[in-house]
Amino acid sequence: MKNNKALLPVLTLLFFVSAALTSPASKWISEKTHVHFFSHTSIEDIEANNYKALSTLDPATGEVVFSVPMQSFDFEKSLMQKHFNSKKFLNTKDYPKAKFKGKITNLASVNFAKDGTYEAMVEGDMTIKDITKKVSEKGSVTVKGEAISVKSKFPLTLADYGITFSDGKPSTNIAKTIEITIEADYKSE
Amino acid sequence: MKTSIKRILLIIGVLVVIGGSIAYYMFNMPHRDVQATDADASITATALVNEYLSDYDAANAKYLDDDGESNVLVVSGTIADIKEDYQGDLVILLQGTDTKAGVSCTLLTEEKTDGLTRKIGDEINIKGVIRAGARYDEDLEMYESVILEKAAIVHPRENNKTNEL
Repeated sequence: MKNNKALLPVLTLLFFVSAALTSPASKWISEKTHVHFFSHTSIEDIEANNYKALSTLDPATGEVVFSVPMQSFDFEKSLMQKHFNSKKFLNTKDYPKAKFKGKITNLASVNFAKDGTYEAMVEGDMTIKDITKKVSEKGSVTVKGEAISVKSKFPLTLADYGITFSDGKPSTNIAKTIEITIEADYKSE
Repeated sequence: MKTSIKRILLIIGVLVVIGGSIAYYMFNMPHRDVQATDADASITATALVNEYLSDYDAANAKYLDDDGESNVLVVSGTIADIKEDYQGDLVILLQGTDTKAGVSCTLLTEEKTDGLTRKIGDEINIKGVIRAGARYDEDLEMYESVILEKAAIVHPRENNKTNEL
């Protein structure tokens, strides 16, 4: 009996150590993502969808990362898709991934432990074609049971990333500032 | 004189019609049918991943295309995971037990039923177009897999001609 009592603190310590070692990673991962590209001009609307981005979200720090494979943008018309990928536009062979790395700045307003939809402010770096710009976005975080989903819609000025058109159809048919929508469903790994 | 003007007008008219037709065709050109395209190469998932992990830029130069019409590959490997993406398409991960990344193959919507007959551990061949390579991403703090899209499981009797790279 005495021996059992002596063992108790050791067992308690072992329990907490093993719990710490086996607790799930702090980052949540999303392979269920949607990135939508939308360009509006008086001549035509152009849109594309990408379902292959990979994202992580750390509820403890508010850090959000999106890695977007650029050749996975699907356009309705083949010619548009070729223009998008070409060296004159996004040069996806040399720059196959775009990335956003940012943080939720109003983390105190988002309760990851309670179901609900929260407004989130995100600030960070957007890198396209190796050009990095500071961006600030507004979005929403929805917590539902064991799942977290995020959504954000924001404008993106193509010239900021060295994408400009001086002549031809793209110069008149593609908006100077396009609209990007991102959606992601996360789960704890 | 009148005849020569008529001829010139006729030639201009024909050229306008031909030019217009080409422009119309180009604008409405259909997407490449990946499954109807001969594969550029057959490769194991492990070999493809290792090629990317050893030299990411060289592998991109080899497999990716300037206009996005990148290599069509037949990739063989063991199913490590089966999931659905955001729009409900089936994603089969081919990955060896001793590799850090795999090949994430998104099946065409019409191929989902075929994909659902497979299970983790099955050895299969999948044909699709490569979109991006594998690498370790310091910001994500994880390995990203090779991405294959417009994919379908290759059945043994199908004829899939390949050209050695």
